[in-house]
Amino acid sequence: MFDFIVDMFSYAFMQRALVVTTVLSASVAPVGTFLVLRRLSLAGEAMAHAITPGVVIGFVTAGLSVMSLLFGGLIAGVGVAVLTAYLARNTILRSDASLASLYLISLAVGIFILSAAGSAVPLKSFLFGSILGVDDATMALVGGVATITLCAFAVMLRPLIMSTCDPVFFESQMKRPWIVDQGFMFLLVLNLLAAFKTLGTLMAVGLMILPATSARYWSGTITAQLGFGFLFALLSCWIGLLLSYVLPETPTGPSIVLVAGVIFGFSAVFGPLGLRSQFKAVRHT
Amino acid sequence: MSVIAHIESLSLGYSEEPLFSGLSLDIYEGMMLAVVGANGTGKSTFVKTVLGLHDPKIGTIHWPKGRPDEIGYLAQLSEFDRRFPIRVRDLAAMGAWKGFNPFSGLNAAARKKVDQALDQAGVLDLAERPLHTLSGGQLQRTLFARVIMQDAPLIILDEPFAAVDQNTEQHLLKIIDGWKKEKRAVLLVVHDLSAVLDHCSHALLLGNGAASFGTVSDVLSHDRLVAQGYMSASQASWIFRKTTEQQAAHV
Repeated sequence: MFDFIVDMFSYAFMQRALVVTTVLSASVAPVGTFLVLRRLSLAGEAMAHAITPGVVIGFVTAGLSVMSLLFGGLIAGVGVAVLTAYLARNTILRSDASLASLYLISLAVGIFILSAAGSAVPLKSFLFGSILGVDDATMALVGGVATITLCAFAVMLRPLIMSTCDPVFFESQMKRPWIVDQGFMFLLVLNLLAAFKTLGTLMAVGLMILPATSARYWSGTITAQLGFGFLFALLSCWIGLLLSYVLPETPTGPSIVLVAGVIFGFSAVFGPLGLRSQFKAVRHT
Repeated sequence: MSVIAHIESLSLGYSEEPLFSGLSLDIYEGMMLAVVGANGTGKSTFVKTVLGLHDPKIGTIHWPKGRPDEIGYLAQLSEFDRRFPIRVRDLAAMGAWKGFNPFSGLNAAARKKVDQALDQAGVLDLAERPLHTLSGGQLQRTLFARVIMQDAPLIILDEPFAAVDQNTEQHLLKIIDGWKKEKRAVLLVVHDLSAVLDHCSHALLLGNGAASFGTVSDVLSHDRLVAQGYMSASQASWIFRKTTEQQAAHV
């Protein structure tokens, strides 16, 4: 077993994948925790699809570079977030319906352009990720995003907690409460882009949501949930990479998210706040 | 008494038809103003406008000494996420979050202050409990502790007794009376008229497109309550008969 692991990490692409997914886990864990707490789990999924056309247009016009991915994705993600907020504020649609409409259009546009341009990048790798895609620039992107994310959380953790727990009270306390909401959405888009190459557009949000929802079953405090979220994300990445290495035909994105899914299932049943404790409580009453 | 806020010709509403218009009043130190009215008459909109969450349709709110840095606020419980993973002590501490170091937990002095506030609200023994295990009354007491932590000259409470039992209501009213003695101004959105009659100095009655402001005895008259659609004539007669009987019994 030890020899197998040494052999596995003798490949440079596996070493890169290990480093990138470890750093990525530290970055996406707090974003995922707050996505879940802010009841934005599905909005996170939608946003992952919404950045697709920006990434594709960047790819088609400037090739598969990190900068094209970053700028294309940021413009599309921020554009959809702003337009969603605008429609929700000024029309009859609520924000969930606005976001659902816009992300579907966005995803269709992205896939349409990618197919029409006769892309050299296989659609499967685009949607589900590939550890072979982790180059120096990707590592720099993930490292940069993780640094920005963790520094931002260090500064805005208290305001973020307050705006999530009691938004009306928070609004009454701040002159510009939207800074925290929009800042969080910006961090979400950044982390989706960072996760994009390894996990693909369809699976990127999986590494945020599943460890965070699993962590909810293990603790009643935010600090512990952040810790559990990181731990579960890390485990998912490492075991997922191993699976992807053993079964080379399986893309990394679904492997990692599948492991996260198993952790979720285990947590939902055996976590202190999971089903088993509920059944115990019912039996004792 | 020093004026905190001067409200001039205020009109509020979401559509073309205003909820009320032409309201002028002063909020001053030690004032205890009850905001009374049927559902949908603009009570919460009014207090949120004073708070700065809504812009007035017409009119102005002037702060002679500048808007206070801190305005104590307790929103309706329905606007609160009770499943949020936080402990009672941390929720109360939110009231003074601006004064805490953003990169560390509560220091000894801050912790002592929070515990004093929890003690005053009667929930110190629940300090380590997660929020989702609290009853409606315990949660409301914790939110009162957060208002105490805010240490504000103006306090706005939006239906604070909506989900609490009589004992809790009496305890919370004692805290509010304490604020009045400390010369803080309190705006209280409330449906319990006996609490208004016993504890408030002034009342603002909203309804049927009108806003009546004055002392409690002037505003909450039988005829006005009926005219502004707060209750029917028979309900008003019954309430005033009961109140008179209770006052006679106290004497």
